[in-house]
Amino acid sequence: MNAVQTFKLTKEFDGLVAVNGVDLEINKGELFSLLGPNGAGKTTTIRMLCCLLKPTRGTASILGYDIAKEPFEVKELIGVSPQDTILSERLNCWENLALIGKVHGLSSNEVEERSKELLETMGLMERAKDSVRKFSGGMKRRLSIAMALVSDPQVLFLDEPTLGLDPQARRTIWEYIAELKGKKTILLTTHYMEEADFLSDRIGIIDEGRVVALGTSQELKTNLLEMRSMVVSTGALTAEVLEDLRTKYSRLEMVKERLRISHKELDFKEIVDYLHSRGVTVYSAALEQPTLEDVFIQITGKRLRD
Amino acid sequence: MKFWEIGKRNLKELYRNPILLGFLLGMPVAFMLVFCAAAGGGQAGPIALSIVDEDHSQTSSAFIQYLGGIEAIEVNEPVYSEKSQAQEDLEDSRISFYLLIPSGFEEAKQAQQTINLELAYKEADPMIGLQIKPIIEAVGSEFLGVAPPLNVELKGTESEIKNPVVNFYAPGMAVLGLMILISTAAEIIAADREKGFLARMFTTPARPWDFILGYSLPFIPVLIVSTFIYLGVGMALGLTVVGNLGHAFLIFFLIGLCGIAIGMIWGSLVKSESQAGVSWGFIIPIAMISGAFFTVEGMPSAVKSIAGALPFSHAVDASRAVLNGSSFSAIITDIYWLIGWAVVLFAVGIVLFRRRMVS
Repeated sequence: MNAVQTFKLTKEFDGLVAVNGVDLEINKGELFSLLGPNGAGKTTTIRMLCCLLKPTRGTASILGYDIAKEPFEVKELIGVSPQDTILSERLNCWENLALIGKVHGLSSNEVEERSKELLETMGLMERAKDSVRKFSGGMKRRLSIAMALVSDPQVLFLDEPTLGLDPQARRTIWEYIAELKGKKTILLTTHYMEEADFLSDRIGIIDEGRVVALGTSQELKTNLLEMRSMVVSTGALTAEVLEDLRTKYSRLEMVKERLRISHKELDFKEIVDYLHSRGVTVYSAALEQPTLEDVFIQITGKRLRD
Repeated sequence: MKFWEIGKRNLKELYRNPILLGFLLGMPVAFMLVFCAAAGGGQAGPIALSIVDEDHSQTSSAFIQYLGGIEAIEVNEPVYSEKSQAQEDLEDSRISFYLLIPSGFEEAKQAQQTINLELAYKEADPMIGLQIKPIIEAVGSEFLGVAPPLNVELKGTESEIKNPVVNFYAPGMAVLGLMILISTAAEIIAADREKGFLARMFTTPARPWDFILGYSLPFIPVLIVSTFIYLGVGMALGLTVVGNLGHAFLIFFLIGLCGIAIGMIWGSLVKSESQAGVSWGFIIPIAMISGAFFTVEGMPSAVKSIAGALPFSHAVDASRAVLNGSSFSAIITDIYWLIGWAVVLFAVGIVLFRRRMVS
């Protein structure tokens, strides 16, 4: 039995299709990422799976329980960290955890045990008795994830768990999530490529409500092996040289003095020779594997920005 | 010109919020409509008049028949033959007042002597006596002719009551005060919905009744303390408690529960804290027809029916009666009514909450 299974899952809001016939099968213990830009339908999908939204069409089940027919059975099995870090602001860290734990039916002893463990893991033990109003965004996010975990759920939904955090806080959250891999089934939504790449067993790319690609990070990239990329460190480039290169190569980016060119049948030597012929100094040049960004652009024709 | 930009933004916010705009503009209209209707308006319903006929004469019967033909009066059947029966019913609040036609009425008419009629009412309900006295005077003079002279004497029944006005208004004010629980309860739910906290809680296995009871629970101590305050402050400022204080407490507690339950329902329906505040749009009209300000007896029949169906007029009537000395048996129907409303309102709250848990 799959931990999460959806069949033609669809949600419309006043005729606007937010999620369009999504089919997913997530295995037990798998960390699955839904990757897509804002408005792609990631949060709507999670909200349906958490029984907050009724699907317009299609079905979904969590560990065999139908989300529409057996919502309370589903809720017994899941933990949710929503996109907006929603905490009870007048409660302290410990009380927030206890609230969710006890609503899930945990005894006081169980709540205490789980809370201690989670607060230690999340590095919040010293602030356990502090009002969460004083917490930084990163601390709130860690507490939010701890709240999702306090009931020891079998399936964990993490909706944009690092949204709006600085790189260091983001990295810390990744480490916590990585520790859960294999222990829980996790469905994570993100629009950060590197997050999906770093954490996921499998990735589903979602765009305009549809899952447009599905597989491991490597599988998705392998499909693009015919696309080659090279990065060249150069001196200053004239507009004329850039324009000339653009006519020849489908994707070309210039960041500071690093030129990144992606194209099928990329001829490494030809590019370096061309740059030399136009008087451009080439400091270094290297071939690169395609990134998830390349995959996303290739599939959707759009760029996925932070 | 930053203020102008801020002002423009807020104007747009207001004009694009139809519920709030409707409340702000519709409230004055509704307020005046209900106020005028509750005060009797142009089409006040007939006042139910109980009569004690101690004369048992053809003239007294003819007078009663004559009173029954007056549009503003509805004569209660049967007519009492003994004053003691009517007095007992008055004290137990089964009737609001009665007109006593004394023995010797016919003789006095024939001898063209001064005729004394007695209009007995509860002192804690002074409005009704003042309202009916001029009608009886006018109708009586018309029936009897200009001579002999007619004297209608207003007679309050409870001498123990120190300040009838306080005893009339205090129960109504307490019930009105407890209606604050409606908006407060609704605002707390709406605020949690607006912040997304409710959505987070909806992902837990908590059931609709867990939420309704969980959100109601904090208001119970508030309700108990408030009731003590209303009764305590009222007594300190002249409220006379003739009846059983515990019974009055029970009535206030039950109407407070109804208020909390209405707050739960309203909180389930609205999406934001600002919309929750719109509850005053129905709280004030309900208060006006609850009998807190005007006796329900004098209201037009349609308004009277609505008031009678709602729990608030029962709470005002029963608490007023108990404080003025009525027994528990006299208010038992009101108590059942309040319990019934509380149960129904909480049930409706749970059903609505369940629907709002998934959209």
